[in-house]
Amino acid sequence: MRFGVGLFSLQCTAMQPRHWTGAYRDMRELASLIEELGYDELWLSEHHFFYDGYCPALLPAAASVLSVTERLRVGTGMLLLPMYDPARLAAVATDLAERSGGRLDLGVGMGYRDVEFDGHGVSRKQRLPRMVSGLEVLERAEAAGGPPIWMGAQLVDPVKRAGRRGHPILFSAALPFERCRTLTQVWEEGWAESRRSLAEKPALGALRNIWLTEDRKEREAARDWVRASYVQYAGLGWTLPAVGDHQQQDYAEETDKAIADTVETTITGSADECIRQLQQFDEIGIKHIAFRLILDGEPRRALESQLRRLSDLVLPRLRDKVPA
Amino acid sequence: MARLAEAHGLFGVMTGAGDPRTAITAAVYASTATDFTRVIVRVLLGQEQPVTIAEELAVLDNVNNGRTVVLADTGDLSEADAVDEIAVLREALGNRPLQHESPRWKVPAGLPANVTAPKAIAVTPKPAQLEIPFWLTGGAAGEVAKPSHLAVLARDAKAASVERSVQPAIAAITGTLEEDRETVIAWAAAGATHLLLELPEGAQHEAALAMISRYLAPEVAMPNFPRVMSTSKVPLAWPGDGRG
Repeated sequence: MRFGVGLFSLQCTAMQPRHWTGAYRDMRELASLIEELGYDELWLSEHHFFYDGYCPALLPAAASVLSVTERLRVGTGMLLLPMYDPARLAAVATDLAERSGGRLDLGVGMGYRDVEFDGHGVSRKQRLPRMVSGLEVLERAEAAGGPPIWMGAQLVDPVKRAGRRGHPILFSAALPFERCRTLTQVWEEGWAESRRSLAEKPALGALRNIWLTEDRKEREAARDWVRASYVQYAGLGWTLPAVGDHQQQDYAEETDKAIADTVETTITGSADECIRQLQQFDEIGIKHIAFRLILDGEPRRALESQLRRLSDLVLPRLRDKVPA
Repeated sequence: MARLAEAHGLFGVMTGAGDPRTAITAAVYASTATDFTRVIVRVLLGQEQPVTIAEELAVLDNVNNGRTVVLADTGDLSEADAVDEIAVLREALGNRPLQHESPRWKVPAGLPANVTAPKAIAVTPKPAQLEIPFWLTGGAAGEVAKPSHLAVLARDAKAASVERSVQPAIAAITGTLEEDRETVIAWAAAGATHLLLELPEGAQHEAALAMISRYLAPEVAMPNFPRVMSTSKVPLAWPGDGRG
């Protein structure tokens, strides 16, 4: 398995105020630490026009991390493709991949907030055709040496499309394990329809809320930071529609329930318990795990302590079982 | 190059001489290699929706602690379109809600399908500095300067203005000390305050920047510069550190 850390969104929230410049400096410092501790990936996240400065431009943010690291891969999770000119995006991403020795992963998603489309002069009705035509441009760039494409999708149709096109998915941390398993099977069906060779098949990924601790008070604090982080999604108005037997999670209208359900996805406990739960993902073909550790209200010393703990107690044991 | 320019005490470096689409990410690289020097990023107008460019510039300015200078290249745009596009960029980077309507751009667009979108947006994060400086270049720069109240990057001495507190200019140097001294002296006399220097093709960067920082910059840093300050023997290096 491979391990990453996310989501870096560079926010200055009402609950954890700071200067934006400090957020970008912290990210570069943490990226160096993450690399030093042996993690493989760092993931960024994008939104637009939000009060807290939620990062609206992932390639410049990725460049700032890539320029101060040597081995770490940096992924956009997710860049909202329909809002961009794909030819310019492909040129910038390819340049960045070249500058960094091929360490950029270009994750793309569709977006869902009306204000973000409107601010960029795009009709939300056009998001699917723009996504498809944008992907075609990025796929040509990838074939010519551009960055590998990842996709963010949580519903059956887009997950199947990603499988057909041969792109790996990075599943949201809000998805319970069972929903990840269902969608992984959907992706596999799409992949099978693509008739690509097994050698080309990418491993899938998932963000996971996790906090390795056996201390009750620390566990409570970490779960509360997860809660506070998902309050952001209430503000953003995110809804995760139902898939089969898996319920809808509506952060805008059923805020408390959606957040409580998401907090329950958090993997906590001893190293053995964390490893047991992470192995479940490995068994269904999800080989990239991005620990979702950048949380609202979390002090930096707690984050650094958790990064070290997972690096010491979890990474070596899972890497030994399934070498990346 | 950016690190080298900073080590020589130069005021800035410019990115975007190659593919203009990659100028902002190149500027990020230049920014993280430096602490103090300004990063002048050439932005070719008309290549992307200006709100997207404003967002990228805002991120860049936070990456570099407020050291961004935008060199807006009017490219193929008409005077009116360039004025309008620069207005959108500057309004987006300002600290008021953005609501812009002109024949070229309506932001937010107010498209029927975007039913919950408000009538104004806030581009965030805000730049680290109170206001990102904008300079102009390109075919329509001269015409755009007046309505936008911005400085044009002067390419000949007649275009420089002594009335501006900041008058940027750009000139090529040859690598020949006497000629290059005359160049920078002429620009200073014309009113240039910040002079970008294009290095000769194939120039060895360390040697070229040493000439700029030792001879050319001091020459115009004070009236009647006593040249002995730059022509005397370079102080000895600490044994073993290779400087000389």
